[in-house]
Formats: sequence, structure tokens, C-alpha cells
Amino acid sequence: QEKAALVADSVAITGDTTLVAEGHVEVFYKGTRLTASRILYDQPTDRLTIDGPIVLDDGRGQIVLADQGALSGDLANGVLTSARLVLNQQLQLSATELRRVGDRYTALGRTVASSCQVCDDNPTPLWEIRAARVVHDEQERQIHFDHASLRIAGVPVAYIPRLRMPDPTVDRADGILRPSFRTTSALGFGVSLPYFVTLGDSRDLTFSPLLTTKGGRSLGLRYRQAFTTGAIEIEGAFSRDDIRPDDNRGYIDARGTFALPQDFTLSFQFEDVSDRAYYLDYGLGDQDRLASGFEITRTRRDEHIAGRVLKFRSLREDENNDTLPSLVLDATWDRRLDFGRLGGEGGLNFSTHSHWRDSGDDQDSDLDIDTIPDGRDMARLSVLLDWRRNWLLPGGVVGSALAEIGADAYHVADDRAAAGSDTRLHGAAGVELRWPWVRAAASGASDVIQPVLQLVWAEAGNSNVPNEDSVLAEFDEGNLFSLSRFPGADALEDGGRATLGMNWTRIDPAGWSLGATLGRVFWQEANAGYSSASGLDGTRSDWLTALDLSLPGGMTVGQRAIIDEEFGVTKAEWRVDYQQDRYGITSRYVRFRESEEEDRPDPLAELTLNGRYRITDNWTASAGARYDFESNHTTRASAGLVYLNECMKVDLSLSRRFSTSTSVTESTDVGLWVDLIGFGSSVKPGPARVCRR
Amino acid sequence: QGTDVAFAGLKGDSSAPVEIESDKLEVNQAEGFAIFTGNVRVKQGPMRMAAPQMRVDQVAGGTGIERIHATGGVTLANGAEAAESREATYTVSTGEIVMTTDVLLTQGANTIAGQRLVFDIDSGTGRMEGRVQTVYKPGSGQ
Amino acid sequence: CGFSPAYAPGGPAERLWGAVRADDPSDRQGFELVERLEERLGRPAAARFDLTYRIATDIDSVGITGENSITRYNLNGRVDFSLKDHASGQVVTSGRARSFTSWSATGSTVATLSAEEDASSRLMRILADEIVTHLLATSGRWLK
Repeated sequence: QEKAALVADSVAITGDTTLVAEGHVEVFYKGTRLTASRILYDQPTDRLTIDGPIVLDDGRGQIVLADQGALSGDLANGVLTSARLVLNQQLQLSATELRRVGDRYTALGRTVASSCQVCDDNPTPLWEIRAARVVHDEQERQIHFDHASLRIAGVPVAYIPRLRMPDPTVDRADGILRPSFRTTSALGFGVSLPYFVTLGDSRDLTFSPLLTTKGGRSLGLRYRQAFTTGAIEIEGAFSRDDIRPDDNRGYIDARGTFALPQDFTLSFQFEDVSDRAYYLDYGLGDQDRLASGFEITRTRRDEHIAGRVLKFRSLREDENNDTLPSLVLDATWDRRLDFGRLGGEGGLNFSTHSHWRDSGDDQDSDLDIDTIPDGRDMARLSVLLDWRRNWLLPGGVVGSALAEIGADAYHVADDRAAAGSDTRLHGAAGVELRWPWVRAAASGASDVIQPVLQLVWAEAGNSNVPNEDSVLAEFDEGNLFSLSRFPGADALEDGGRATLGMNWTRIDPAGWSLGATLGRVFWQEANAGYSSASGLDGTRSDWLTALDLSLPGGMTVGQRAIIDEEFGVTKAEWRVDYQQDRYGITSRYVRFRESEEEDRPDPLAELTLNGRYRITDNWTASAGARYDFESNHTTRASAGLVYLNECMKVDLSLSRRFSTSTSVTESTDVGLWVDLIGFGSSVKPGPARVCRR
Repeated sequence: QGTDVAFAGLKGDSSAPVEIESDKLEVNQAEGFAIFTGNVRVKQGPMRMAAPQMRVDQVAGGTGIERIHATGGVTLANGAEAAESREATYTVSTGEIVMTTDVLLTQGANTIAGQRLVFDIDSGTGRMEGRVQTVYKPGSGQ
Repeated sequence: CGFSPAYAPGGPAERLWGAVRADDPSDRQGFELVERLEERLGRPAAARFDLTYRIATDIDSVGITGENSITRYNLNGRVDFSLKDHASGQVVTSGRARSFTSWSATGSTVATLSAEEDASSRLMRILADEIVTHLLATSGRWLK
């Protein structure tokens, strides 16, 4: 049976069966540690009579502070007076009397529980729970309150006869979660009170009932299960409301990933929603296309394999799910190769893609806004071999030879003009010269200037394969020097071209750093597949300019612009962020020319601004707005106020969605979240108030 | 087992006759003290004291022992009680024993260790000082 | 003006060729990052340096129209990387590559899907090129 150790400045031997220890007395027993000013230990009755200040630390996150007390020799049983129970350095329960019962229960008489800092000049904590009796069960890690009353700033707010809360060390326990309040123009004022149920160690279920003043009745459900090889999460809701009074509304979002043998990974996703506006009405984001399906992938150093099946469903007003490719099947196998004596490296790729449209109509109709035959189905099988070898040429020039050769087999159905099968052989070869210059300054800053010239000749093969996956071409530093700048496989660049590029990068840990790129492509003949808004149409591409600047003092600028010959902006994306300790601003500006081929009838010009400002240590304000220059309309505005101190978090958020469409109503969304820190809430405590001496 | 009478203390009787044995003895009649060397053993009533070397001072101008000063590792025993330390001074006339440096007091399963123990033989009470360490067995009570 | 060709004989980057081995990739983005790194630095042969990297990406929706449909997405990417001397395990240089690419969501599901995947591939090429440029810029200090 284990022994207890007692250490003190002095121990009096009283000649009878007691021992009196005085001066910095400490008792250690099985991980529990008691410190006091004086302890009298009576051997026969095995009792420690203790004079404070007493600190009893059970080594499991529970600390008791008291003035007086008497405990058994093993510190497990006994009474301490004017005690304070501190849990996880956060939650404090003070009571006139505290009783330790076995090594599990700690019972307190009339108790005040709070995690707020209390100062002498202002003794009422921001929130407190007063109770006639409190029992802390260390084994179940639960705190039971009898006749509890919740007080905010001293004012009684709620009376709960019997209340059970998880103690701060708990991350998963059955019980009510934090309530949230939300007002939206469509649903009115709503209260949601989620309830969490643990079903064993690896499963749990969360019910989130929501009631709103405008007849909104909704039950949210989230089920999570962990398996040895993976995990699934299913989230959903069933709702009735006055927005669509006679409809059952709701959504479901199920996801999961599993480890398969030989390092393969399976991931699946299923999304469905009753109607288009549901996500917006219930504040679940602004997703406008649903994708369900599964994917199997494996990635090794030189090999990547992926296969997937996807089912799409569009929620957009101007799209018709019958004339949209709703079923997609993809598979790709990439193998990186070394070329032995030939030298250099490259890769072999086998890929297949198929998509089907429900409609069988082989011509376009006005069911949708695009010009693609309504029922067109396509299937493709491709093989592509690419090779690249670099040489160090005199003067520090890096010369590279590039080549690729590929074959595609297509089958098109339900398309009057292009139905049937077609095969295509294509290839490209090129030379790239890169001449990097480096300067390292004594200050630690270093600069690199890299001029690059690339000459390529390509044969795209003659086939009238319809272009479905390469419609939305982009032009940036990522494909400035690619052999084909089309995003997909259907379209290919043809003929000869020269590409010029220049990059200047400066890295200065102390000072300012910069990355600037300029580039342009010159073709022998224009590539029909590029839209006017891609910057890649015609025989000379627009100028590609990109800048990434970060200045000391927290300012960063990111910019990419495609500018045509008359210096008109085809496309520009600006980001300016200025972050300081107390405040910060982030801004995004996007400007994009209109393009029929890309189904964008109007140009796009949008500015997004977000700011935060820490007013005091505890109060933080934030605001944001999104302005659409085309319609001269603010599309989104939001503001937020957060109060966070060591014991409470109040999060007030307001967001307004403006809309010019009929089916999507304008909506204001006000949300209030209150978090009492100290009851196993995941919120991290903020800065505590400092008491003035 | 006998741990119920804890720390009863090395109770004894300082007025009882004192017997001292040792291998060697040197007497200094003029200054009234004697040096006992070589496993010196002192008996007084139930109390036993042993040490490699002891110096015994006579009562000034009278007969009887004033003080015994033991060095080189002293052990004191009294029934189930035992105490040991580097040095010890027993003033017979007052009945006070002062043990110093690595003092260890044991009584059955319980031990008290410290740097300085002041002890009264007659009352059986005393005080251990100097970051005292005590080991006890909880729950051995009723 | 202090500039000298990085790959010239005696130049700082001359011995960088085939000397860097990037960690094995675990997903498509890592695969494409390593592919571009090896295009620029050569396949590792008895590599003297190990490059560890951590890729983080997130998506912003941009260009929200009056009808509340999202017409464009930004893919923001960051790679925190550090280059260690293979023998001693000492970190010789480290940094963060940061950039973004975008894709339009106005075409059909198939067009948007391949645009999204191409945006991710382009982003990995840009981040890989930034890492190589960082190595070139700082090679004078650690590549003996």
C-alpha cells in the first residue's frame, strides 16, 4: 500500500500519536499534492488537520484552495472551509464548505461558479452560476448544479432546478450545446438549441432544432462515425417555413474518406437540397452547383492514379439540368519517367473522360443559354508522352528541349453536326532558353532576374472534335510557357509560336520583397478556341503582367493583369492587404471583359473590402462589403462585433445580401452567439481584465 | 502491526544511572573529562546510545556526568524507536539530546528525516527541523 | 551592377543541378509541385539536399452577380518549404511561396471542372518556380 510523503520546515514529536508539521508543509500522495502552513497528523485516526492557505492539486486539472480543513491521510476524504475549486485553470467554484468524497466526488455547499476575473474594486463577475449545491464528478467529468441560477453582471437571468454541465477537460459529452440566435428577413427571429449525443467512442449525433417567429420550424441533424480505416460525416436538415409554406424543405450533405489497401484512398460526397434558395435562406453559404460522387486516388513519388464518378445538379436559374453534362466519369494514370541514355525526364499519361446529358435532343434549343446541342454526350480516351531535357550552356544559359506526342480517340453522340467517332494524333516540340542572373547584396537581400525565350512548333491534328472542357482558358505565369494553354484536352494549340518572359524576384527578409513577371506569346496563326476574354486570342497574346510585393510594416500587394495592345484591361485581379496588430484591411478587385463564348454576357467588375479593428483588448469590430461596379450595386455587406475576455465570448454578426433577381430575395441576417468559457467550450479565452491594486 | 503508537518518542529517564563501555578510555582528571573510543556503548534505563567516539564531561566540582558528546555516526534506540545522526550531544543534567546532520528518526513503518533534532528524554517530546521529510502510511488508522 | 549568371561556371547555382530531392508527394497537388521542381532542378542524383514542403490552399468566391450566382473562384496557395543538408540535416534555407490562380465558373459543369483542376495545376507550377527562384537567389550563401 503506497506511502504518503510529508515535507515541512519543522516537525514536532509530541510524544503521543500525533505529528505537527509547520512551515511550507507539503503532502504528496499518488499524484495529489497538498500545501499548507501547518498540518497536524493524528496516526490512529489517520486525519490531517490543516491550517491554510491550503492548495490541494489532484494532478488531473482540479485544484482546491481553502483556508481551513481536515482530510484523511490519503487526501481523498474530508472537509475544507471557505474553499475555491478551480478546474482547468479556468472555471472557479467558490463555496463556504467543500467536501471531498472518495477520490471521485467533490461536493460544495452554497456555491458561486464563474470563470471570470473578479477584482476587489468590482466583485461581481460578468457571469456567474449560483447554486445551493454543486457536485463535481471527476470520473465522469461532469458538474451537477442543484437550484442553479445564471446571473449576468449580477442580474439573475435564468433559474434551472437541476443543471449538468461538462467540466472544462471534456471535449465530447452528451448535453446541450451553446444556444445561438439568428434573425433573417425571411425567417424572422430564431433560436437554435443544439443537443449533442455521444454514441460510444467513435460515433456521435447532434440535433439542432430551430424555431423562428415567422413560422420557421427546422430540425438539423449531424451524424459522425469514425472507422478504423476512415470516417464519415452526414449533415442535413428538415424544415418547414412560411417562405414556401406547402413544401417540405431541407438539405443533406454526406462526406467520407476511407483508406483502401495498397495506399489507395476512397472519398465520397453526396449533396442534395430541396430548392435553390434553401442554402441562402438558412445561411448555409452560396453554393450554386451540387456535386455528388466518389473518387479513388493514389499518389506515389512517380505515379498518380485517380478515378471518379460525379453527378452534377445545378441550382442556377439560367441552367437546365437536362441539357447540362450531369454525369461525368474520369480516370487518369500519370507515370513520371527517366529516359536512360537519352537523358532528361518526362511522363506518360493515360486518361479517359466521359460525360452524358440527360436530354436526347441532338440540336440546341432555347431551354438553356448555351449554344451546345442539348443532348450531346462525349467520351474521350487519351495517351500522352512528354519529354524534357536541360543542358547547362556556356555563360550560364539553361537550354531545354521539350517534346510531347499524344493520341486521342473521341466518340460524340446526340450531336447532329459532330456525332460519331474521331481520332487525333498531335505533338509538339520546342526549345526553351532561360538565363538567370543573381545578385546577393551584403545586406542579405538577393535579386534574381530571369529572361526566358521559348520557341515551339505544334501539330494539333485535324479533327472537328467539339470543345467542351477547354472553353474557360486562363492566362497566367502558370501556363505562360506551357505547350498548350487550354485547360482541358479537347482543344490544342496549333502551329509555331514564340514566347517571351521576364521575371525579377527580390528577396529581402528585412526589407521589401518583390516578384514581378512580364510575358507575351506570338503565334504564326491564331487559335480559334481562345475567347476574346482569355487574352490568348489572335496571333499576339495580351501582355501578361504579374506583381507580388510585400513591404516591411505589413503591406502586401498581389496583382495580375492581362492588358491588350491599346492598354485596355482584358482581365485584372488586384489584392491589397495591410495588416497591423490592432487593425487590418484586405481588399480584392476583379475586372473581367465580357465574353459570349464563356457565357458571361456582361463584364465583371467587383471590389471586396474587409476590415477589422481591435477597439480595446476585449472588443473587436469587423466590417466587409462587396460592390459590383457593373450594376452599381453593393451585393454583400457585413459587420461584426466580438467581445472576448477570459470567461465569455459574445459574437454579434450582421450580414446583408442584396439581390436583383426574382427568385432570390434580399435578406438581412443577424446572428448572436454567446459562449460561457470554462464549460468545455472550444473557445479559447481572451485577455483577462487586470485588477487595479 | 505496531504502527499504532506512532512517534511515541524516545521516552527515557535522565536521572537513571549511566553505564558506558568502550574499547579504550583516556581520562583527563585535571579538566574533568574522559574520551571513550572504539564502539562506545551507553546504557541509561531503556535507552541505548552507540557511537565510534564519545567525550564525557564530568559535573564541574562534583560527581556524575554533565554531558556526553558523541561523533562519527551516532545511533540511539529505545524499544521500537530508533534515531541516528552524524553527531549528538546528551546533556544528562537537563535530559536534552540534540542530534545534528542527517538525522533519521524511525518508528516501525514511519520515518522522519531532517537536519537537527532537539529531544527531551523525560517528556518524550522533541522537534525535528531543517526541511523535514516524513513518510507515513495513510489509512492505517481505524 | 553586381549581377552574375547563376549557372555560369563558378556561379552560385552551378552545383544546384540534380542536387535537390523533394519529399515524396501524397496528393495530386504535391505530385505536380514535385514534377515542376524536377523539371527545373533535374531529377535528384545522389542529392545533397532534401526539400520538405507543406502545401496549403483555400478557395474564395469572386464575382457574385445580382442573381447571387458565383461566376469566378480564386485558388490561393502557400507552400512553406525548407531545404536541409542531407548529410547534416541542417536547414540551409527556408521560405514561403505564395500565389493565387483563378478560374471562371460560367461555363458548363465539365468546362468549370477542368478549369478548376487546371487552376490547381498552374498554381503548383507557379509555387514550384517561386521555390526554385528562392533557391537560385540564396544559393550563393549556402551552396559551397
